[in-house]
Amino acid sequence: MHSKKLIFWFDELGKEHNDIVGKKCANLGEMARMGLSVPPGFAIPIDIYRKFIKETGAEDEISSYIKEFGDTKGAGIQVFEEMSENLRGAIDEKEMLPSLGECIASYYTELCNRTGKENVAVSVRSSGTESRPGMFETYLNVCGIEELLEKIKKVWSSTFTPRAIAFRVNKGLPVLGDELGVAVPKMVNARASGIAFTVNPIDGDSSKITIEANWGLGEGVVSGAESVDLFEVDKNTLEIASKHAGNKRRGVFYTETGADWADVPAGIQCIPCIIDEEVIEIAKVAKSAEEILESPQDMEWAIDQDTDFPQNIFWLQTRPAKVAIKKVDSAANHIADLMAKKFRGF
Amino acid sequence: MKEETKGNVKLWDAVPGYDFDEKIDVPEMRSYFHDGVHSVPRLTPMYSWFYGRANPVGSQYASETLSIPTCKGWSQKIKDGSTYVAMHIIQDKEEIDKRAAKFKEALVPWIDDFDGLWEGYKKELIGLYDHLKSLDLEKATNIDLLHHLWDMIRTYRRMWEIHFLGMYTSMSALALIEEQVARFGLTAESPEFQNMFRGFDNKVFQVDKQMSEFAQAAVRSGLSDLFKNDKAEDVLLKLDESDAGRKWKKDFHEFLKVEGWRMVRMMDFNEPYWLEEPSTAISVIQTFVSKGTDFNLDEVRLKSIEEREKAITELLQKVPEGEREWLRALINLGGKAGSYSEEHDLYCELYSHALIRRGLLGIGRRLVQAGTIDKPDDTLFLNPDEIEQVMLAPEFHKLQYIANRRRADWERLRFKETPPVFTERADMNEAVGKDLIPSGDVIIIKLVVGEMPKVKPELKADIYGVCGAPGVAEGKARVIFTYEQLHEVLPGEILVCPGTNPAWTPIFGVVKGVVADRGGTLSHTAIVGREYQVPTIVNCFEGTEKIKTGMKIRVDATQGAIYILSK
Repeated sequence: MHSKKLIFWFDELGKEHNDIVGKKCANLGEMARMGLSVPPGFAIPIDIYRKFIKETGAEDEISSYIKEFGDTKGAGIQVFEEMSENLRGAIDEKEMLPSLGECIASYYTELCNRTGKENVAVSVRSSGTESRPGMFETYLNVCGIEELLEKIKKVWSSTFTPRAIAFRVNKGLPVLGDELGVAVPKMVNARASGIAFTVNPIDGDSSKITIEANWGLGEGVVSGAESVDLFEVDKNTLEIASKHAGNKRRGVFYTETGADWADVPAGIQCIPCIIDEEVIEIAKVAKSAEEILESPQDMEWAIDQDTDFPQNIFWLQTRPAKVAIKKVDSAANHIADLMAKKFRGF
Repeated sequence: MKEETKGNVKLWDAVPGYDFDEKIDVPEMRSYFHDGVHSVPRLTPMYSWFYGRANPVGSQYASETLSIPTCKGWSQKIKDGSTYVAMHIIQDKEEIDKRAAKFKEALVPWIDDFDGLWEGYKKELIGLYDHLKSLDLEKATNIDLLHHLWDMIRTYRRMWEIHFLGMYTSMSALALIEEQVARFGLTAESPEFQNMFRGFDNKVFQVDKQMSEFAQAAVRSGLSDLFKNDKAEDVLLKLDESDAGRKWKKDFHEFLKVEGWRMVRMMDFNEPYWLEEPSTAISVIQTFVSKGTDFNLDEVRLKSIEEREKAITELLQKVPEGEREWLRALINLGGKAGSYSEEHDLYCELYSHALIRRGLLGIGRRLVQAGTIDKPDDTLFLNPDEIEQVMLAPEFHKLQYIANRRRADWERLRFKETPPVFTERADMNEAVGKDLIPSGDVIIIKLVVGEMPKVKPELKADIYGVCGAPGVAEGKARVIFTYEQLHEVLPGEILVCPGTNPAWTPIFGVVKGVVADRGGTLSHTAIVGREYQVPTIVNCFEGTEKIKTGMKIRVDATQGAIYILSK
């Protein structure tokens, strides 16, 4: 990688850049390289975070605060909340370094040009070198450079959320750890979003691709809180093996300045939020991703309402799938599975 | 004691708690279906008592143990010696899903090693049977006999539990195969399908083969005239008149000591078992001797195995590569399941019933000595509660009035027809659709009640049934209701009957076709018809009613159509 280059487009990255830009960004790069359609955007490397906390003096403040605080082993959640408030504050209250701000702004402007949208809406996501699902903050529907810079600082400071501090303390990691890169992809104007598993996460059945979907943004599915649409696609024939429309009362949608849970309009709550050909296209791409990556995948996708099929399917994430029960993939299990399923038809 | 003393004792008082009461039972369960496969002719009161309670509880036990997703077994009621079943259908989707997950886990060991599990259960059963056999009934005290009665009940209950574990797993496998191969254009009735499950040996066929070998040995020893011309009882006496005869009889008795725990009629205690009355087994030998022993099941099997491998290979060629391994495993399992459906009868029903008959007759002889009843087999017209009341002081009691009354009722009703269903629904089809099919219970759907025949007006047939084994046959009809009548069947005739059981199996080597009133595609009649490659129709409901012995009939089993050609 060119040493003077500060910021990178996703399609300039690959998994070998994990340590420089963090896992999420490297992964998005890798996905783009595989031919998956990922939203356009750029990666702010971890070094920029380091430069920021060093040159603004935040690092010293943080170090001395931690030192003063002393031993935190076995501390309760109130302690971590207090620490979090102080440590996050140390980052949030600093002004963005002008050199960094300008550099980020130039990429943002270029993104606006590429997408043909003024103040294009982006999401701002953490990208550490280790996967820590749910530890750090994500900001959705961020528009305009000022807002973007503000949210980048907030993502950086989210390395000090109470849960992240508690996690590191309990694991014996330094409190100061988990330096974060930031991913800034264009927001997909999602009509519907969801997950595709190339292996059933519950019983390990690898003959079908399981797809969960809800109206709106992916957070409405990933959190697992609402009843969603469920599809199963036969991995061999790519035919839909089963289809279950959930009663989707709630979803995550754009608000003026972000995104939040809201009621799904009554008329479409029970209608599948994606059509069969989209289901099959999603399954097809997921299957090929599994083949290229040579392991079962857990993938996030979104359907952009401003684009035509099949270009409207965007991929936001892929990672190795975790299966609750490790399945011995024997003929006996498969037969037992079919025998049990037969009864659902009555 | 005179019958009038207690004139209100009726046949159906024999099974307290399990007597069918239309006014109470139908509103509770909506439909009760007649089990025409197991209770025609009608059951004796004692057998009704045993079967009526242990059989449904066995189905419930296995359904719970295996967590059958859609059904908790069945409820059973007895109506004057006819049995009726109603399904415990689970309606709640969530409960079905939960049970399905457990069901899967429970099935895997059976799929992996069906034979191994069945061997284990066989051993358990034989252990229970050996315990029953170990009691010398004549030397036993009255206390021993009472305990023996309890042991018989316990053995019988356990037998049904094991029976249904094997049945649910094997029948589910067979039903799944039917469904899976449909994707590749094969139907259950097609020869390509049925060829895949032919050519499996099992204990029933092995015993039949030994019987056929005894017939051949008799012919070789110059005894064929004796077997052809005399009644079975006389054959036994006359065998003592020559060295060759004595030798043959001795060998045959040794064989019976091992294999003779086998009832002539499967589902009751009222007819003798082979070892008790060797003449019943002799009549089978007579059939083999007089009709020729040229039907060689081994040869047919070799051909069947060849055809089976060919059929499986052809199917697998149509199957995507990734699916071949499990489909092959499933077809193997299906073959074992088919064998089990034959063999289990021998180790479950036929064996246990023989031992219970032995015990009930032993108890009966003791009660006759005490004057409590007149004949040892009067015990078949009592129930265990009644025997228990008198067993330790029998000389104080008289039970003739109950036994005689019930025997008379039973004899009067024995061959009388009974409705196929008692239901609140509009008709049989609606009852089947709403109160049977949703249970997903393969045993009741595909064996006991069976699939409903489809009437095809364009065929202009006289009777419609369900294809049990494909093919077309034409010939003289021979209507048979009981095992004792089986010797009347002549080679090349078409057997018309209520249904068959393993004791009837050798007759499939004699006849050209089979028509059964009841039974589904996985019933004994259908399975043996396929193994012997005899065109077979099941569940035609009115075969024995409309067809008379001597009529010329044409059986198009493939179409499920029966034509009466001449009256």
